[in-house]
Amino acid sequence: MASPCTVLVDGDDPEEAMALVEIAAEEAWRIERKFSRYRSDNPIYEINHAAGRPVEVDAETAQLIAYATTCWELSDGLFDITSGALRRIWTFDGGTKVPTRQAIDECLPLVGWERVSWVDSTLTMPAKMEIDLGGIGKEYAVDRTAGLIAAQTACSCLVNFGGDLYAGAVRRGARTWTTGIDDPDRTGHAALYRLEIARAGLATSGDARRFVTWRGRRLGHILNPKTGWPVEDAPRSVTVVAPTCLEAGTLSTLATLQGAGARAFLEQQGVAHWIV
Amino acid sequence: MKVSAKWWLRAGVVLAFPGVLAGCATVKPWDRDLLAEGRMRFNPCPMLHSIDEHIYFSKEASMGGQDAAGGGCGCN
Amino acid sequence: MQLETPDDTPAPPQSALRERLGTAALALLLVPGAAAAADSGAKTQIDYTTLLYGEQGRAQVVEPILRATRLFSDGQLLSLQLGFDSITGASPSGALPSGRVQTQTSPSGHVTTVPAGEIPTTSFVDRRTGLDGEWQKPFGQRFTSTIGVHASTEKDYDSLGVNGKLSVDLMQHLFTVTVGAGYSDDSVSPVGGTPAGLSDGTVVTHGANAKRVSSALLGVSRVLSRRWLVGVDVTRFEENGYLTEPYKVLSLVDQVTGSPLDQVTDKRPSTRSRTSVLFSSVYHLTDDVVYGTYRYYTDSWKVRSNTLDFSYRHDLDENRYFEPHVRLYKQTAADFFTVGLVVGQPLPEFATSDYRLGPLTTFTLGATYAFHFDPVPGQLKLRVDYIRQQGDGSPANAVGVQRNFDLAPTVNTVSAVVGYSFKF
Repeated sequence: MASPCTVLVDGDDPEEAMALVEIAAEEAWRIERKFSRYRSDNPIYEINHAAGRPVEVDAETAQLIAYATTCWELSDGLFDITSGALRRIWTFDGGTKVPTRQAIDECLPLVGWERVSWVDSTLTMPAKMEIDLGGIGKEYAVDRTAGLIAAQTACSCLVNFGGDLYAGAVRRGARTWTTGIDDPDRTGHAALYRLEIARAGLATSGDARRFVTWRGRRLGHILNPKTGWPVEDAPRSVTVVAPTCLEAGTLSTLATLQGAGARAFLEQQGVAHWIV
Repeated sequence: MKVSAKWWLRAGVVLAFPGVLAGCATVKPWDRDLLAEGRMRFNPCPMLHSIDEHIYFSKEASMGGQDAAGGGCGCN
Repeated sequence: MQLETPDDTPAPPQSALRERLGTAALALLLVPGAAAAADSGAKTQIDYTTLLYGEQGRAQVVEPILRATRLFSDGQLLSLQLGFDSITGASPSGALPSGRVQTQTSPSGHVTTVPAGEIPTTSFVDRRTGLDGEWQKPFGQRFTSTIGVHASTEKDYDSLGVNGKLSVDLMQHLFTVTVGAGYSDDSVSPVGGTPAGLSDGTVVTHGANAKRVSSALLGVSRVLSRRWLVGVDVTRFEENGYLTEPYKVLSLVDQVTGSPLDQVTDKRPSTRSRTSVLFSSVYHLTDDVVYGTYRYYTDSWKVRSNTLDFSYRHDLDENRYFEPHVRLYKQTAADFFTVGLVVGQPLPEFATSDYRLGPLTTFTLGATYAFHFDPVPGQLKLRVDYIRQQGDGSPANAVGVQRNFDLAPTVNTVSAVVGYSFKF
């Protein structure tokens, strides 16, 4: 998951809490092993190395891809899991290096969900294209884990994978879960907002650490798959609260992809949000 | 050949080599793309490697590489 | 800081987008747990390789190997390998050339004649069968343990060994420490019995000789950058028991003319400590990958060697690659190595003229080509190597007529490996 993962259990039994944490860890590792693009033994590797051959996937992978397809349609093609190919030419290390026009022109033909055939759990993707489920993988893991834990205990739990979280039912004493939204300029040290939530997912889009400075402007790491460039005027940080972490994460990413129109977009969706 | 303190010191220096070379550089998780390739390993083709080890073990006096196993034949 | 409680405020009306998103999310999250955990399932890989090796005028080897590996969904790995080794041909007996034709008798009673000026060789036929097993198990996110067993048998040599390794991943898998150990129990039963060392070979003992090898390994590997992986491995071996070559001899030459007059058997110490230090590097260029290793080796017989190995892997596409490589090797002689002994002088405690313990350089140049051959599933590999070995043909202590001969002629070898592997 590339970030610290915690599980908070509102209960009195340390043994039960440890058991729940173990369930959470197993599920998080399972999902990471299965969907990480950094491994050579999972369905993603098969898909990304199929060299144009059709690949049939299992039920869980199929549903994830179906979900990604819905996001692609809802965002008019801006949310695209094939845009990972662009990371070969971009390095978001805080420096000033940007790829040449030619590099982008060579890369763009390898991006675009419209070039992929997705039918009946079978994916056929042109060679050299690749998919990256990093944009929804973590939020999906949060919701799955929260579901598994909830089935095991009567206690309310909060599952937090690196800032994307799901807060369980109202706690004992009718208290809710308290969470804070980071100040992107002082990550980990100061919070801009404090929220009280229950039975809801929260996710943040935007990463203070991954950016590039170009002509004095700060470009975030979320790329527009149609232009090959980072989204213009993207907000530094968008946080959304929704019934599941998956929806929260998707909405915050969709909002960021709107660039300057992020706030209007989220207001139109009628969802609780915070933009920095 | 007894293993002296000097030997341990030399072994320690040798083993510290990769750490010394790197300083405190770290590679972010999202930069692990190249490292994840199947060919980015010390030994991407174990079968070819073990054939080589066997050939050179029978034709030369040396032995050893990345395994504590070795030999197992009457060739040296 | 603002305190907000979104659960208190009445839920705003859902947009059409949110409705679709919510439905899709529900469908995804409702995939049954059993289906979700079914994973990619276990995978099996079969590798079949054959080595065809031929030294010009010396030994020829044919070695087919079959390996089956099963990778389980929990990360465990089990592999079993069966190999056959068929060696025929000749190898130097250790005796020196003569100005006249010589006759010699092999351990099995076979008589051959050796032309004048040529290094005497003995011919042999041997078949070896080996079985290797390996079991790898990850523990949590950081530890991996490996256990291996080895068993092999040939006409005059049996071996049984175990080895184990434990790896720890630190710093989010950027730094790995490995410790390992091994032990093997070998049994040497020379054809015709074991001759006494440094003797005329007529006195033999029957029965097996034990040879035990313990080993220890310590290694660290580190990811230096997005493109660069390096590692160091220090291995130590302790051998005890029968370490002599029972079929090799040394010539006793006349102290003036240098003509070989008699022979004594080879004799080596019964212990040997070996240390190997290996530096490895894997570097990813824009498209290709460069592999480099350097090994320094030293042992208690005073052999020292340096090995340098480079490979350059160029992937033509997803399924094909071409990888040329070169290897340079140079070793110094063991302290009891001598090309021959002189009649009349007291015999040393240990002596061998086995060219593999003498000064030696090995040069290897070769290339691998791997490809898929549609519609056959799996990958084919073809590797061809040219290997050249060269010893010291004119050592300083050569006596008389020995100075006219090349006592360590260059050995040219061509080896080819054909491999086929497929997964299912």
